[in-house]
Amino acid sequence: MNNKEILIYAQNTLLKVGAQKTKCILTKKEKNELNVASGEISLFRTTFDTNLSLTAIIDNKQGSISLNKLDKENIDDTAKQVVEMAVSSKPDEANDIAEKQPTKEFYKEPFNPDLDKMYERLVEFMDFAKKKHPKTIIEEINFDFTSTNRYFINSNGVDFTITEGIYCFVVMFTSKDGKKTSSFNYVAHVTKDLDTPFSECGNIVKLLGESSEQLNTQQVSGKFVGDVIVTPECMDDFVGFITRYLYDYPIITKTSVFLEKLGKQIASKSFNLHSKPVSDDIAESYFVTSDGYETQDSTVIENGVLKTFLLGLYGAKKTGKERAVNQGGCWEIDSGDKTLDEIIKSTKKGIILKRFSGGNPSDNGDFSGVAKNSYYVEDGKIKFPISETMVSGNLVEMMMNIKQISKERINSGYHNYPWIKFEGLTISGK
Amino acid sequence: MIIKDLKKFAKYFTEYTELRMQENRNIRLTMVNGDMMGNSRSSNSGISARVYKDGSWGFASNADISDEAIINVISSATENAKFLSSRENLQKGELPKTNAMDSKDFSTKKPRKSQKEMIDFLNVIDAHIVKEFPKLSSRTIVIGNLDMEKKLFTSDGAESYSMIPRTTLYVVMTVIKDDQPFELYEVYGWLGQFEDTFDKPEVLFPKLKKQYEHLINKSEGVYPVSGMHDCILDADLAGILAHEAIGHTTEGDIVKGGSVAGDYLGEKVASEMVTLVDFAHTAFGKQCPVPVYVDDEGTKAEDAVIIEDGILKKFMHNKETALHFGHEVTGNARAYGFYDEPLVRMRNTAIMPGKSKLEDMIASIDNGYYLMKSSNGQADSTSEFMFGVVLGYEIKNGKLGKAIKDTTISGVAFDMLKTITMISDDMAWSCGGMCGKKQMIPVGMGGPAIKCKVNIGGK
Repeated sequence: MNNKEILIYAQNTLLKVGAQKTKCILTKKEKNELNVASGEISLFRTTFDTNLSLTAIIDNKQGSISLNKLDKENIDDTAKQVVEMAVSSKPDEANDIAEKQPTKEFYKEPFNPDLDKMYERLVEFMDFAKKKHPKTIIEEINFDFTSTNRYFINSNGVDFTITEGIYCFVVMFTSKDGKKTSSFNYVAHVTKDLDTPFSECGNIVKLLGESSEQLNTQQVSGKFVGDVIVTPECMDDFVGFITRYLYDYPIITKTSVFLEKLGKQIASKSFNLHSKPVSDDIAESYFVTSDGYETQDSTVIENGVLKTFLLGLYGAKKTGKERAVNQGGCWEIDSGDKTLDEIIKSTKKGIILKRFSGGNPSDNGDFSGVAKNSYYVEDGKIKFPISETMVSGNLVEMMMNIKQISKERINSGYHNYPWIKFEGLTISGK
Repeated sequence: MIIKDLKKFAKYFTEYTELRMQENRNIRLTMVNGDMMGNSRSSNSGISARVYKDGSWGFASNADISDEAIINVISSATENAKFLSSRENLQKGELPKTNAMDSKDFSTKKPRKSQKEMIDFLNVIDAHIVKEFPKLSSRTIVIGNLDMEKKLFTSDGAESYSMIPRTTLYVVMTVIKDDQPFELYEVYGWLGQFEDTFDKPEVLFPKLKKQYEHLINKSEGVYPVSGMHDCILDADLAGILAHEAIGHTTEGDIVKGGSVAGDYLGEKVASEMVTLVDFAHTAFGKQCPVPVYVDDEGTKAEDAVIIEDGILKKFMHNKETALHFGHEVTGNARAYGFYDEPLVRMRNTAIMPGKSKLEDMIASIDNGYYLMKSSNGQADSTSEFMFGVVLGYEIKNGKLGKAIKDTTISGVAFDMLKTITMISDDMAWSCGGMCGKKQMIPVGMGGPAIKCKVNIGGK
C-alpha cells in the first residue's frame, strides 16, 4: 500500500469496527542533521520517522492512538483499541471533526537537502566564529533539513496532502577567558534555502560579538522602576506569554486574563500582532490545523485590540466562541516609527533585555525572571552588560505600557519582530 | 516491542558501533472539570545505530525493524561517520571500552487495567474534589504514563535490556479570589506502570486536601518582599537546585563547552555540609524514581558523587567526554527515543540529608521565607539559576506566617551553596521531572530542606 492507501485503509477499518466519525493523519519525516559539540563538527545524523494518528468518535465519545508500525495487522488491532477507548470515555458534544473542504495538495520547496552545501555553510560559520570571536566557544549547533510528507483525511471527506522541506540552524555559545565565563546565549534561524551565510542571517553576528563582552558584567545596584527594551530574540518569550492565554485550556477553565477582552484594548495602540503560517513573509509554515482545517493568516491583536482567541474546534464548541483560522505561531509584529538608536537615546534609565530566564506568568499576569545577556542603559547610552539582575511586572499592565517600537525588525524565519520598549517595569539588582 | 537478537548484526559493524532497538509507549488521560479533554495512547518504536570513526559520529534510525532495514541503518550510520571523519579528521583516539550486561524489567506483574478502569479512577478523584473542595472554580486531572523499553548491543560486547515505566497523576486546582484566579498543581506518582503506582484513589485524598488548603492560603497570601533573604528551600526546590543549577554545569559536555564548573574541580564550592550525588538506580537502599543500570553506550551506570563535603569531586560523563578529560565513564549517556543519539544526562540527582530538624530550621529564621514548590527552573553556564516558586510561606520570628503569591528566586549556585547553614535530616524525591537538553528525558530530583540565602524577585 502507498501512503494514501494506508490512510484510507485505516479510516475504513475504524468505520468498520464501529467509529461514527474518524480523523486519520499519516506523517513521514526524513531528517538530515549536522551537529557541532564544543567547537567540533562531531555528528551527522539521518533519521526516518513515521507516525499514524487514528481518532474515533462514537456517541460524542473520543479516543486516539498514534503508532509508527503500518502493517495491516497492526492497523487492524489499533483500530479496535481506538474504538474501545472511545467507548470507554465520557460523552462530550464538543468532540467533533472538521467539516468537508475542497481536496487540496500543498507544496513548499525545497523537498530535498543540499548536503554538501549544508556542510559548506557549517564549516564557513565555524571558521568565521573561530577567527572573529576566539574567546567564544560554539557549544552546540544543530543544523538540520527536515522533509515532511503529511496526509490528512476524515470521515466528513477532508483530504489534504502536504509536502514540504525546511532548513533549521540553532547555535548556542559561551565565552571563556581564563576563569571568567559568560552566560550562554543561543539563536535560531529557519530558512528555505542556503543562499546566505549564517553569519549574515538575522542578528547572529551581533549576538556572537556580544558574548565575549559579557565576560565582564556588573550588577545593577538596588531596585528601580525603569524602561525595558525587549530585543527580537527575547520577544518570542513575551509573545508566548501573551498568546498562551488565548488557547483552549485557559478559555475553557476561565483562567485567562483576556477572557472578557475580545474586541477590547489589551495593548498600546501601536501594537499589531499577526500569525502568518501561510504567508511567504515567514519561512516556517503550516497549511492545515491539527483539527483538519486549511490554515489562513490572521491578525490577533490590531492597534492594541484583541481580534481573536486561538481556539481549536473543541475549545470553540465547548465555549460557544469562534474557532480561530490558525493555531498561532509564525508570528509577526508590525514595525514602529523610531530607529533602535533613537529608542536607546531616549531611555533615561533601564535595560536592554536580550534573554529572559523566567517561568510562565501567574494566572493574573504577574511575572519575574532573570535578565540574561542584557545591558544597562542610562541617559541614552548603553553602559555595561549586567548579571544577577531581575525584571518583574505584570504582563497585562506591561502590554498597555508600550512606549516605542523600532523601525528595524529581525526575521528569524519563524518569526519577525522589532525591538519594543516597555515602561514601568521593576528592575532589581542583588 | 518485538525483541530481536541484535548480536547477529555484529558482522555488519566495521567501526565502534551501538545498535539500539527501542519502543516508547505513552498513555495520557486528561479530565478538565469532569470532561475528558484528552483520551490518547501512542507507541513509537524503531532501530538506531551510532558509529564512531576517528573522533566523528554517524547516526541513523528507522521505524522499520526488518533485518534489511537494520542492516541499512548500520550502513547509513557508518557512511555518515565516514563522511564526517574524512572531512574533519579529528583523530581523537579510541573510546573507553565498556561491556556491561544486564536485564531489568519493571513491568507490572498485576493484570493490566483497561482504559475504562483508568477513566473510572479519574472519575473517583474528580468526584471527591467536587464534593470536598466546593470553592474551586476549575480542576484538571491528568494521568500520564511513559514506558521506555530498550535493547542495546555494542561492538564492545555490551548487551542490555530494560523496561523502565513511570506513571504520574497531575492535579491542578484553581480558585477565584477577588476576581483573580489562583492555581496550584501537584504531581503524584513514581516508577512503575499504573497498576503498581496507583492502587486505590482513596490513598490520594489526604494529599489532595493538603494541596487544596495550600491553594486557599495562597489565594489569601501576600507578595513576597524582593531582595536577598534567609530562606528554607524544601525538598522540591532543593531537588531542582541539585539538577538545574549544579547538575547541568557538571555534565561533561557542558564542562567541555565552557561551564564555570570546569575551573572548580577539586575546589571548595559549597558549605562542607553539602554532598550532592547523581544516583544511578538505588539510593538509601531503595529504588530511585528513574533507575539506570546500563546506559545507552553500554556502560554500567555508577553513582556519581559530584560534590562531597563541599568539594567539587566529579563530572558526569559519556565515553567521549570521559576520553576528553581522561576521567572514568560514569554511565550518564541516555537517549529519549529510538531516533535520538545518547547525550550526557543526569539520572537521579539529589543533595544528601543533613542533621537538622525542619522545625528547628524554621525557628532559626526571624524574617524570611519557607519555599515549598517550584514550577520550573533554568540555569546558566555561570551557574546563575532561576526557579519559579508557586508555593511558599513567610517566616516571621521563627514561625510560619502567611502564604506568598507566585514569585521567582535566583542566585549563583556556587555562591549560594556556600551560604547553606542547615540541612534537614530527611529527604524526598520528586517523581515527574522531565529534563530538556536537545531531547526530553525523565529524571529524578530530590533533596532535604536546606537553609540558605537567595534573591527573591517581585515588585
